[in-house]
Amino acid sequence: MATAPGVATPDEYVGATIVREQTNLWADAWRRLKRNRLALVSTILLCGLVLVALVSLFWTPYPIWRQGVASTYQTPNSHFLLGADAAGRDIVSRLMVGAQISLEVGVGTQIVVALIGITIGLIAGYFRGWLDGIFSTLINIFYGIPDLLVALLLVLLLGRGLDKIIFAIAATRWMDMARLVRGQTLALREREFVEAARASGTRPNKILSRHILPNALGPIIVQATFGIPQAILFEAFLSFLGLGVQPPTPSWGAMAADGFHALRIAPHIVLAPAIALSLTLMAFNFLGDGLRDALDPRQKR
Amino acid sequence: MLSRRALIYIGERLVLIAFTVVAVSSIVFVGVHQLPGNAFLSDRRIDAAAQAALLHHYHLDIPLFDQYRLFVSGIFRGDLGESLVNRGIPITPLLLREASVSLEVGATALLFTIGLGMVLGVIAAIRQNTWIDYLATTASVIGYSIPNFVTASVLVLVFAVYLYNWTGGTIYYEVGWDGTYGKLGQIFIPAFALGFPYASIVARLTRASMLEVLKQDYVRTARAKGLTDRIVIIRHALRNALIPVVTILGPLTIGIITGSVVIENIFGIPGLGKEFVNSILSRDYNIVIGVFTFYAAAIGVANLLVDLLYTAIDPRIRY
Repeated sequence: MATAPGVATPDEYVGATIVREQTNLWADAWRRLKRNRLALVSTILLCGLVLVALVSLFWTPYPIWRQGVASTYQTPNSHFLLGADAAGRDIVSRLMVGAQISLEVGVGTQIVVALIGITIGLIAGYFRGWLDGIFSTLINIFYGIPDLLVALLLVLLLGRGLDKIIFAIAATRWMDMARLVRGQTLALREREFVEAARASGTRPNKILSRHILPNALGPIIVQATFGIPQAILFEAFLSFLGLGVQPPTPSWGAMAADGFHALRIAPHIVLAPAIALSLTLMAFNFLGDGLRDALDPRQKR
Repeated sequence: MLSRRALIYIGERLVLIAFTVVAVSSIVFVGVHQLPGNAFLSDRRIDAAAQAALLHHYHLDIPLFDQYRLFVSGIFRGDLGESLVNRGIPITPLLLREASVSLEVGATALLFTIGLGMVLGVIAAIRQNTWIDYLATTASVIGYSIPNFVTASVLVLVFAVYLYNWTGGTIYYEVGWDGTYGKLGQIFIPAFALGFPYASIVARLTRASMLEVLKQDYVRTARAKGLTDRIVIIRHALRNALIPVVTILGPLTIGIITGSVVIENIFGIPGLGKEFVNSILSRDYNIVIGVFTFYAAAIGVANLLVDLLYTAIDPRIRY
């Protein structure tokens, strides 16, 4: 029997093992994320922001405290690329250090939120019963309180250090994470692999850390990504009201507040931190959207 | 007419609100009294006897528990005490007036938020997966990424500074606030800045819920009857798409209250939010406690109204 050249005989078919490309959830998610252009641009922007914050630890064009009478209210020029503020300080330098503060607040808050939220969510979702009742009531009470006002009160009571602000924001922002982890745990605890683990005598803390938490990690990462811009925005609000980090720390919110009274004559003092802040928040939100679509492709928008 | 059952439900909720108000103000009361010093310590112009008299007047010389008892009994009489900084000014009438100003601005912002959000959401939904939809969806992410003080700065720059220059000073927005309630032209810019981030959220929610509703059988039936697109969308789809939007009115109200703290300070609006920040900065703790009491009550009542609205709009839901 003659076969056309290049076409495999049935024997060859059977003999060849079909090698499927090995892939896992994270590689798969990364492939999908790369196709989302907005998320990719956001990732690049955020990498740039981290780089700027790292550089600002060692070098800024001018020392951020250096004031000058001659440079007061200068518009952007070759010496001061984004101009200078009311005290004649270089805005580029202050923006760079501000990036550091925003990132510290954003990431620091989410670490605290993750610790509180994951612990409460896992316990409430897995053990249910009266523990769940207590935690769910607590979550509902916190949802009913305006977060900014409580954070303001906490800052008033605790003082104005960066660590205290991070704590104050986390204390009013942990509920989304707790509710999410609780929901995930409730769903996962009914799955076969958890039942199998339980049947083979695995202890609850091991089930939670080895079986449930890893499977809930995707949504947790998405939630944390959305939490970072909220925390940054919060710190900017506090600083804008004059109740955030201690001046002259160059927080973006404080910089915008400083320049507001001179909006007519020198709008760049407000616009520079305002644009930096908006772009950062936007990048985190687009990245969050991208991650959500990438990690959970079933949940199409 | 409200049924007997509805009245009982409202009564229960009001009792719950009263409890929350007392609980919130108690926590703030205890917290604030842990702070070192008092409002008169730094006042060097008064001698020891006068200071003692002042402390006595404000009941600051008696044990904390007795102070607390006086405070709680005051709440039930609607008396929040006197300002520590502007001595002799009773707090309740002051805050009532300021709350009405905040309500004026907040309600305008809320109307604007819901209006703009729903229009954008509906347009995006009926033009699903076209460039209009993508533009609206992307714009909504950008919308809630921009802090309200940034929106406010840009609006002031455009309408107060540039518009003044372009029109030679004939048409422009004057930053400021006249009298207690402001002039009509002064309210729109602050209300826009206040509501803008939340309009994006409303738009997203409306879009998602419209898409869901448009897939339903009764919409197909309405279309099959030969009704025009406009009537199908307004009368059949939008009304049901509204239900999820109503659920976020509660968080939305809290968001607008939070935002008003920033916006009132920017535009010099004499509302509760401005008073709140001023009282913290001037350490007028009696007013800090009073503002929290007010906010707790306002949020309780707003949530109750949302729940009542919810049952009114969706007959399937009962008390």
